Amino acid sequence: MSAPPAPPVRVPAWSLSRSAIWLWVTQGVIGTLVYGVLVAVLVLGVPASTGGPLPVLRWLLPVLLAVYAVVAIGVRPWIRYRVHRWEVTEETVHALTGWLTRTWTLVPVARIQTVDVTRGVLQQLYGLASVAVLTASSQGTVRVPHLEVAVAHRVADDLARRAEQVRDEAT
Amino acid sequence: MTTAPWQTVPEVTAPRRTSPLVVLVHTITFRQARQVVPAAIPVVAAVGVDGPGVVVGLVLAVTALSLLFATLTWWRTTYADTPGAVVVTRGLLARSVRTVPNDRIRGVEVETPVLHRLFGLVRVRVDAAAGSMTGGDEEVVVDGLTRAEGDRLRTSVLTHRRAGVVTDPSAPPLPEEQPAEEELARFDPRWLLYAPLVASYLAVPLAAVGALSRLLQELPPGLRPDLTGPDLTDTRVLLTGLLLALLLLALGAVLGAAVVNWGFRLVRRGGSLVAVRGLLTRRHTELEVDRVRGGTLSEGLGMRLVRAARVGALVTGLGAANRRGQVLPLGPRAEAVRLLGVLVDDPGPLVAHPPAARRRRLARAIGSGLAVSAAGGLLVAGTGWWGLLAAGVVLTVLGVPLGLGRYAALGHVAGPRSFAVRSGLLVREQTVLQQRAVVGWQVRQSVFQRRAGLATVVACVGAGTGGYAAIDVAAADVGPFTEAASGSWATARGAGG
Repeated sequence: MSAPPAPPVRVPAWSLSRSAIWLWVTQGVIGTLVYGVLVAVLVLGVPASTGGPLPVLRWLLPVLLAVYAVVAIGVRPWIRYRVHRWEVTEETVHALTGWLTRTWTLVPVARIQTVDVTRGVLQQLYGLASVAVLTASSQGTVRVPHLEVAVAHRVADDLARRAEQVRDEAT
Repeated sequence: MTTAPWQTVPEVTAPRRTSPLVVLVHTITFRQARQVVPAAIPVVAAVGVDGPGVVVGLVLAVTALSLLFATLTWWRTTYADTPGAVVVTRGLLARSVRTVPNDRIRGVEVETPVLHRLFGLVRVRVDAAAGSMTGGDEEVVVDGLTRAEGDRLRTSVLTHRRAGVVTDPSAPPLPEEQPAEEELARFDPRWLLYAPLVASYLAVPLAAVGALSRLLQELPPGLRPDLTGPDLTDTRVLLTGLLLALLLLALGAVLGAAVVNWGFRLVRRGGSLVAVRGLLTRRHTELEVDRVRGGTLSEGLGMRLVRAARVGALVTGLGAANRRGQVLPLGPRAEAVRLLGVLVDDPGPLVAHPPAARRRRLARAIGSGLAVSAAGGLLVAGTGWWGLLAAGVVLTVLGVPLGLGRYAALGHVAGPRSFAVRSGLLVREQTVLQQRAVVGWQVRQSVFQRRAGLATVVACVGAGTGGYAAIDVAAADVGPFTEAASGSWATARGAGG
């Protein structure tokens, strides 16, 4: 297909905190280190003389590791930051997440049941928090990762208060 | 000990015991004694079983133990239905009190297994919605009531619950105890003939055959029936045997369907849909019309050949929805469509998805075949062995009808008060939902979908599986569809632009 396609749903207005990039970079570094140790154990631990597919793996695995490191540290955090968007309007909470597959989630304030704010270990290092807006449906959860803590709490309080006011009995 | 922890309730119904007859039922089924079986096995193994005397003694001991456990359980179990909640107290030493507030009760099911029926008893399951966080549902079972007491408990719980829900003083007075019944569907025994074409019913005789052959192998050689295998080289014998096996399979499926669905009846009674079914175990399920959000019409591959279908209701907060939500377990498609119309308005004929969706279905269906073919090609070049290549080609060719079939199943439509999505090849499921069912939308777009101008739209619903997807909708149609299906909030084209 030729023409650059328009997004199926309007892209929300607000970006995440810029610290999110560094958090994702940190995650990429940690992942690379873990895989690196595994690959090193395999490459160094297996004698070179063994047959089968092992000789191929000896150079294939490090190459894969290098590719993973470049993508996870140098490419993915920035793409993710550009893709991730969120917005709270009068009626709805709206988020766009993902990096290759993009997922829009849209929930009306009237159907919100609970709003969670969570802070992981890494998030605490960077002063970030995630907001999850839950509804009666297990699939209808809006997750906004990596907001500044103050913003996250403000949004959660605001949403919880508004949901209380306009909640309809239907689920 | 027995006061309910429910202070706001003015009067507390005295806690009751279940019928003493349930002790007999549980003794026979070793209901409580089953728990000690794992502990008993090593003991028995140590003592050793030889001679009929030991066996008889063992059986007597186990039965006595079972009777003891059943009696203790019966003695220590009480239940009470107060105007505010249902309270069940149980536990031999550590007492547990379970209180289910009436506003969390989603339904009451009365079932009658065979043994229970023999003693005139029923089992009542009270279904309660747990918080949305855990997602699970709780269930309180009161086992072994007399039939009259079971009916009393059911109506009592349901009327209490309605009284709790209706707080508006201007609301019309509560309906009478037994409002007029309107029969919506009745099972026609001829519909059982569809059963051999339904995979889940076919599994019943197959499982039975499996169990039987296992049993046959366990038998000591002396007792094993001496079957001389028929001469399989004779095509006539082989064909007859095959035909006979198929016939038995079909018969088993019909029997299985009959046991589950015999005498199925769906009636509307007041604000509830009541479904009754079952040959041996009678099941009595009540669904509240107010909580119905839509329905699913599913047709398996075989069912589509004979235009049969089944219908399930999507009800918020219903546990074991597959079993309990059944509005038509098996029947002609026309009847299924009519019943679906009772649950939710017909949104109109489905809209087919764009040609790009067909290309995508085809690509996905033949993709694995092509990969195998490519590997096979390499193998032919390397070793000259062409088996893998042939398999790959066959897979690729088979993928074409598969992809086309999957595409043909796709469809969506938004009507004035409801909308529908359909997908699935082996089991084609058309889900029709009311507008108010939607608690959110999820739109997914992979890299390939983005290039093809497609997107998958999932309607998030607080009933059934939680989400129902329209796969590969044209990207430009996503906004109009979500808006038409759930209201203006879903356009998401408001402030901020």
